[in-house]
Amino acid sequence: MKKTALRMEDSRAGPVCILSIGGRIDSGNAADLLDRLNGLLAAGEKTILLDFKEVLYLTSAAFRVLLVATDEAERNAARVVLCGLAGQVRELFEMGGLLEAFTVHGSREDALAKF
Amino acid sequence: MSLPQTTHIVIRNDIADLAAVTSAMERVGTEYGMPKTPLFQLQVALDEMVSNVIKYAWPAGGAHDIEIRITARDEGVEVEIIDDGRMFDPRDAPKRDKPLPGKRPQPGGVGAQMTKQLVDRIDYARIGSRNHTTLTKRCALGPAASSGEQS
Repeated sequence: MKKTALRMEDSRAGPVCILSIGGRIDSGNAADLLDRLNGLLAAGEKTILLDFKEVLYLTSAAFRVLLVATDEAERNAARVVLCGLAGQVRELFEMGGLLEAFTVHGSREDALAKF
Repeated sequence: MSLPQTTHIVIRNDIADLAAVTSAMERVGTEYGMPKTPLFQLQVALDEMVSNVIKYAWPAGGAHDIEIRITARDEGVEVEIIDDGRMFDPRDAPKRDKPLPGKRPQPGGVGAQMTKQLVDRIDYARIGSRNHTTLTKRCALGPAASSGEQS
């Protein structure tokens, strides 16, 4: 799987907008993720589930986007929820002290069962 | 292969060049049999450091080169980042403020906090008009080390 590109694909499960993210998130492409999230919020989405299952690599640029988007969601009476964090990617969230900063569920199925 | 061996790359101060740094690190790590976890951690730490250099080292802008030397040693891998930007010792990066109860943390300083945990050592020297920042990741190298780890 290519590590150098960021892939994003949205789908829907009832009222939940699921954004599947894959590949690499870094300073070079984090703005694309923020644009996509802001676009979904501006379109009126109230629950956005970000599935990190296919993310192979990320840096703190991703955390900045998630913090900004979560604040923006709150201003729009919406929420951003994370799932699919595993292995080294999950460890980076822990090292950044950010696991508690977001609502995080295990798998996509776990997350959807909570809504 | 006898160690140490050094790989040398030069990028521009352009965020678009970051992926090339990760790829170079990947090639070197694979070539010298660096296990996956330390390789991933060193890649992220290097990415954090180089993106900081690109963003903050030259307040006046302009095109500059950033030199990266990756050295595989018996006891691990060392990455030296050399730039002619303003003097900055990454070990002096301010600590993050703890978020207030019930408040989300601020994004500033997350990269520096992570980098400290991702590598075993961060060294810095200002030599002439250049910053030399060195990240050291200790690990066993060679085919036995890289194949012994689950992906």
